[in-house]
Amino acid sequence: MKVDLYNAIVSAQMSRRKMLKGSASLGAVAAMGGLGGAASAAAHGGVRAEIMKIPGVGMGSPGDPEWQKVGELCMGPVKERVAEGEFKGVELTFMGLNNQNLHNFLFRGFLKPWEAYTGAKINWIDLAQADYNPRLQQSIATKTVDFDIIEMGAPFEGDTAGQGLLNEMPGWVKDQIEYDDLVGYLQPPVGTWDGKAYRINIDGDCHTFCYRKDYFGAGSITGRMNPPNTWQEVNQISKDVAGKTDPLTGLPAHGFLDPLKGWGGFGMYFLTDRAGPYVKHPDDPAFLFDIDTMKPRINNPGWVQAIQDVMDLIKIEGAYPADQINADPGTTGFQQFLAGTGSMLTWWGDIGSNARTSDTSVIGDVVGFSAIPGSDRVYNHGKGAWENNYNEAPNNAYLGWGVYVTNRVEGDAKKRKAAWSAAAHIGGKDISLWTSAYPSGFQPYRNSHFNYDEWEAAGYDRAFVEDYLGSNLDTYNHPNSLNEPRIPGIFQYYSVAEDELAKGYAGLYGSAQETADAIAVAWEKITDQIGRESQVKLYKAALGL
Amino acid sequence: MSIEEGDKLHVVTADDISDNKKRLGKFLVWGSALILALILFIQTLDTNAYLSLGLETWRPSLYAYGLWAFCLCASQVLTRGEHGKRVLFVLPAALFVISMVVFPLLFGLVIAFSDWNLSSPDGRTFNGLDNVRQMWGDPFYWNALKNMVWYTLVIIIEYVIAFGLAILLNSHIRARKFFRVAFLLPLMLSPVAVSWMIGKSMLEIRFGPISRFLRWLASEPSADLPAILFYPGMYISEIAQWFGWASPSFFGSAGIARAMIMAMDAWTFIPFMMIMILAGLQAIPRELYEASEVDGASRWRQFLEITFPLMLPVSITAVLIRIIFKLKLADIIINITSGGPGGATDSVTSFIFREYRDRSNVGYGTLLAIVYLVIIVIAMTILIKLADKWMKPRY
Amino acid sequence: MSNQIFRDSESDRQFSASWFTGRVFIYSILLLWAFICLFPIYWTITTSFKMAPDVMKGNITPWVDFTPKWLGWRSLGLSPETIGIESTVREEFLKRFWNSTIVSVCSSILAVGLGSCAAYGLSRFNYRFGFMRNSDISFFFLSQLILPPVVLALPFLVLYKSLNLLDTRIGLILLYTLTVLPIVIWIMRDQFSSIPTELEEAALVDGLSIWGAFTTIIMPIALPGMVAAFILSLVLTWNEYFFAALLTSSHAKTLPVMVASQTGSQGISWWSMAALSFAAILPLIVIAIILERYIIKGMAAGAVK
Repeated sequence: MKVDLYNAIVSAQMSRRKMLKGSASLGAVAAMGGLGGAASAAAHGGVRAEIMKIPGVGMGSPGDPEWQKVGELCMGPVKERVAEGEFKGVELTFMGLNNQNLHNFLFRGFLKPWEAYTGAKINWIDLAQADYNPRLQQSIATKTVDFDIIEMGAPFEGDTAGQGLLNEMPGWVKDQIEYDDLVGYLQPPVGTWDGKAYRINIDGDCHTFCYRKDYFGAGSITGRMNPPNTWQEVNQISKDVAGKTDPLTGLPAHGFLDPLKGWGGFGMYFLTDRAGPYVKHPDDPAFLFDIDTMKPRINNPGWVQAIQDVMDLIKIEGAYPADQINADPGTTGFQQFLAGTGSMLTWWGDIGSNARTSDTSVIGDVVGFSAIPGSDRVYNHGKGAWENNYNEAPNNAYLGWGVYVTNRVEGDAKKRKAAWSAAAHIGGKDISLWTSAYPSGFQPYRNSHFNYDEWEAAGYDRAFVEDYLGSNLDTYNHPNSLNEPRIPGIFQYYSVAEDELAKGYAGLYGSAQETADAIAVAWEKITDQIGRESQVKLYKAALGL
Repeated sequence: MSIEEGDKLHVVTADDISDNKKRLGKFLVWGSALILALILFIQTLDTNAYLSLGLETWRPSLYAYGLWAFCLCASQVLTRGEHGKRVLFVLPAALFVISMVVFPLLFGLVIAFSDWNLSSPDGRTFNGLDNVRQMWGDPFYWNALKNMVWYTLVIIIEYVIAFGLAILLNSHIRARKFFRVAFLLPLMLSPVAVSWMIGKSMLEIRFGPISRFLRWLASEPSADLPAILFYPGMYISEIAQWFGWASPSFFGSAGIARAMIMAMDAWTFIPFMMIMILAGLQAIPRELYEASEVDGASRWRQFLEITFPLMLPVSITAVLIRIIFKLKLADIIINITSGGPGGATDSVTSFIFREYRDRSNVGYGTLLAIVYLVIIVIAMTILIKLADKWMKPRY
Repeated sequence: MSNQIFRDSESDRQFSASWFTGRVFIYSILLLWAFICLFPIYWTITTSFKMAPDVMKGNITPWVDFTPKWLGWRSLGLSPETIGIESTVREEFLKRFWNSTIVSVCSSILAVGLGSCAAYGLSRFNYRFGFMRNSDISFFFLSQLILPPVVLALPFLVLYKSLNLLDTRIGLILLYTLTVLPIVIWIMRDQFSSIPTELEEAALVDGLSIWGAFTTIIMPIALPGMVAAFILSLVLTWNEYFFAALLTSSHAKTLPVMVASQTGSQGISWWSMAALSFAAILPLIVIAIILERYIIKGMAAGAVK
């Protein structure tokens, strides 16, 4: 199936640059790639070429045997630094997610050869995504931390590194994972915490804008030739198509899909997509809080405008699908957009990979990607006034997953080396090429992922890959991108904002301004409860100031 | 613990407990208590670094406690003989509950009256009644309490349905076993499965079977149908459209969302009440019905005069337990609506979970839970007293 | 018999029409409710055999609307072709399944044991502990059911950490016993109240001690009730989620957490969730079918005072 899809896309009418600008995970590429199958696979070896062939085209989604094979092939860097059986008797505990039976299951496969070689043993703690944050917090607070290695999202560094829970990365690990290879936004300050490196990156995260190509072009129901560039256009399109018929499914057409329900704090990222161009001024590194006082900016005119945009669309009959008030981001992405409802969406890269490779999706042929729309005007918080120039602020939402080692290994040099060796194995340069290329839940994050020769040698179409990966790189390295503050409790702020927004969208507050004010009040309470001075200090540390 | 006169079971034998036995019993209790105190003392010293025995956990204290509990039970028998054996029925369970609950409850109370945000570097700080004041002014909490009143009122409807089903199952029908097992199945499905498979998959707006069915009802029948199907079809579709089933929405508005949550919870728990009532119905002797038929009573009067009064104790038990389970309703709400359109479906427990887990606001969350506990205990006590009073005059 | 002496009167024969409609009415309601009960379970089973587009389109009947595939079961490692080969997911599933079984069964047995004894005592004797009488003691036990788990969460975390009971099956068993004990006591109390005291009194006269009377005479009679309470406890502890997610890590993990993690930021794998949910309730269904007669009989004895 993958080859057909790929062929269909290759012969698609739209220019490929438009189609995949700033796009998603390379799972799409892999599923489509291996053009011509084994026959055209390059003859010269090299680990990277080897692993890109596993499992190859038409072999279905990779599973445990494939993960173990890849892990085995990438053991080179480990073997250089660790002797065989060196960690015999060491027991490590690894805590991570097990969403969709990936993440930790993937790591199990990767680390089985590592365990076999080094003689160490790994115990696994698998958590559901919803339990992850509470469990982490409660472990830290009650001093029941029982894990040595943890797969964690970067935003939680405030809670962990800020409380001294993490072990600093040793120099040899930096060498092994080739730290300089990381893309721009993952270098310091985002790459470090308070000047020290703790995180082994395994993922890069950003939101991109997905749209239905059949809604644009000649004779389409929007009447526009090109997809929108600004949020003002997006809102206008949503108003225009209300009541019309979707060209693909025949059901009612809808415009932009906003998730109106929370999702454990993650829903806030979607409002930030909308608000970013309004509130993130190129001259100002902050957009959520004032740097020196931690005063929330959530109720400044820029944010209120974003909330107002959503409320305007709620009022229009037919702009959103039915029951949108109960749609969280999982619904908008997977149950709505991929199933053909709605025409525009912001999401992580998973939509891109699933659009073409998952059977869930009916829009594989008609989906396009671009960077998040900008805005015709931006609010300058310092000056307190709107400026009428075009502004873009793509959102590196969630910053990316990383693997960290906790300070439970301190004092035991062998255990420390074992833990870092395991973590470095997963974050290695070669193995990450595989995870970006195949369905793994992780996206490209290294400059070496954008080496077009390798892709071409493995059999992918050069022009396609150049176009696709190049646009990805642009998003990561955008000078005005949004990187959230990694302060303690950041998800508490998000969660309470979701609650208040839900009330606002349901009409329980009089206006967008009232909603935003309520959020600001709640945020101030949290800041005071956690401790304002420490928050200010950590905010500055996170921004690298 | 003493036992008064008025036991339902009268002791026939008189014990003759020798002094030696009494002394042995007392010795056991006090001896093991002494050991427990000693070990506790040593371990406290150890944790405060006055001694350094290198003990990692409090396990020794746990074992000493177990020893003391066992000796307590043994001594009851030894010192009081037959009476002791009676106490022994309830003593293990009571000891078990008290020991599992007393420390956590005390610690919970301490947490409830402190300000503890898990992300805060300061840790737990005692703040007196501030949490209570915050609770008093918290619109989410009162909103959730109001919702709980709505949720509890629905139990009446659930009860009626359960009663009706039990009566039906009690009459002469074939395949009784099949129906009984089938009706019992909803209770077994885990709440996570119920909320996802039913709430999200079955009730999915565009393609779920229920919404497809509703849309089909609301769609106009095709003109090719024979007249006998066409006209009723038109009639049904008009009614359906009046209901708004042409584009069904299950969680879009406050009222409907609440109704759906109530429906799903009822689906899961009606079997519970039904089984209890059915059991009670089966215990009513036939002769009563036959006698009333001879007297010329109609079915309805039979129900009013015989069935319902005799089922009253069971009904009250079933309803009370159902109320307790309903008041703990949280999983379905968290997974499907996260509190619903603007808090319309929020239950107290789901709100507490959000406060506790997502916002790590542990001190406040614990206080909310304890206040809720107190409210329920008061309400339950009143209900039980009322129920007792109501049942008495009948006999 | 050729000469019928007694004939049905006219009025008796007229019953047939209304009796018939009565039957139809009864059966139709029963069937309707059976449909309501079983359809979601049927939906779960069929979803586990669906491919993603079928889930999206909401097809109902297999082989008519969609072709069943083993995708859901394959993701668990339980489909025919993956049964033989090594599969981490399946190992995980089996380990959690085993843990769930042990924890549920042990805690139910413990609860039934402790609870039956306590219920017997409460129904036969008048206790006085300080100011608490029988009804107060019963209410004390009941209040454990009312206790919100949130109150206990952090304290238990700290308690278990200091006793090294975290992530152990024993720790979970003790906690679960605490949660279902009230229900057992409540049910068994009714049971025992309906058994007349003459039986034990006769035994006591014969020289048995009270415990002897309990074990040899009362327990066999009340056995159905104990089985009923056991099944109920089993169901409740099997599906318990909150404490399982909090207190277990890698050794004592149970099934509900795995079901919950089928959803996440990469979308929802309906088929594997359905497969997992169904596999999780399958043992309960089997137990229900086998022991169904005890449930009814068990609760029957004491319900009407």
